[in-house]
Amino acid sequence: MLATTGYASRMDRDEVMRVLRAFESAGLEYVLIGAAAMGFHGLVRATEDLDLFIRATPENIDKLRSALRAAYEGDPTIDEISSADLLGEYPAIRYVPPTGDLYFDVMTRLGEVASFETIDAEIKDVDGAKIRVATPAALYQLKKGTVRSQDHVDAAALRERFNLKDEG
Amino acid sequence: MPVQKFRSIEEMNKAPLPESRGSNFERFLRHCARWWAIAPKYYPRGVFKFRTIEEAQKAREKHLPLK
Repeated sequence: MLATTGYASRMDRDEVMRVLRAFESAGLEYVLIGAAAMGFHGLVRATEDLDLFIRATPENIDKLRSALRAAYEGDPTIDEISSADLLGEYPAIRYVPPTGDLYFDVMTRLGEVASFETIDAEIKDVDGAKIRVATPAALYQLKKGTVRSQDHVDAAALRERFNLKDEG
Repeated sequence: MPVQKFRSIEEMNKAPLPESRGSNFERFLRHCARWWAIAPKYYPRGVFKFRTIEEAQKAREKHLPLK
């Protein structure tokens, strides 16, 4: 059910799967990072968003728009997602769909540290949908160097669970 | 093993977690659903652009709890 108050109500499984299937159908080149990716690896914590890196090409950003249009039919704000921004001055965008049950942080690069091409990933299958998820080691590399306290907690959990070592 | 008993918090923390239903991803989704039910927040709708991840994270912290 759509929220009629304009307020978020819940993270809906059907909505998440609809979007992930739309990514696959559109041929979007992406890798899931963040709490959702950690969830795939058994480190479960709550989140309000899905974080993803996408390959930074105009064609792939077209696919992102197509996928979101398929998942959230009739939302005109999707047209505001542009190659000029994501390949230029704004490498991160947040899309909050009309349902507001969850939102998406989409990135093309993280400073000089990470991009779609540099993040190791594996394919997970959920109800036949193929989902590209960052590996535990890749997540650890992304999280260990940030200033966000939640990332430090996540990095420590990943290091402990997967016996990860710092390189060098 | 529906009930486990521990002599200390340390012993409890060391105990293996019980097997849970479904895949890790399903557990993640259920956990998020509970979180949202307990602590819903208001998010302005649409597309927002950020020059850095730090900028995006600061914007996230401004989101208000639903009253």
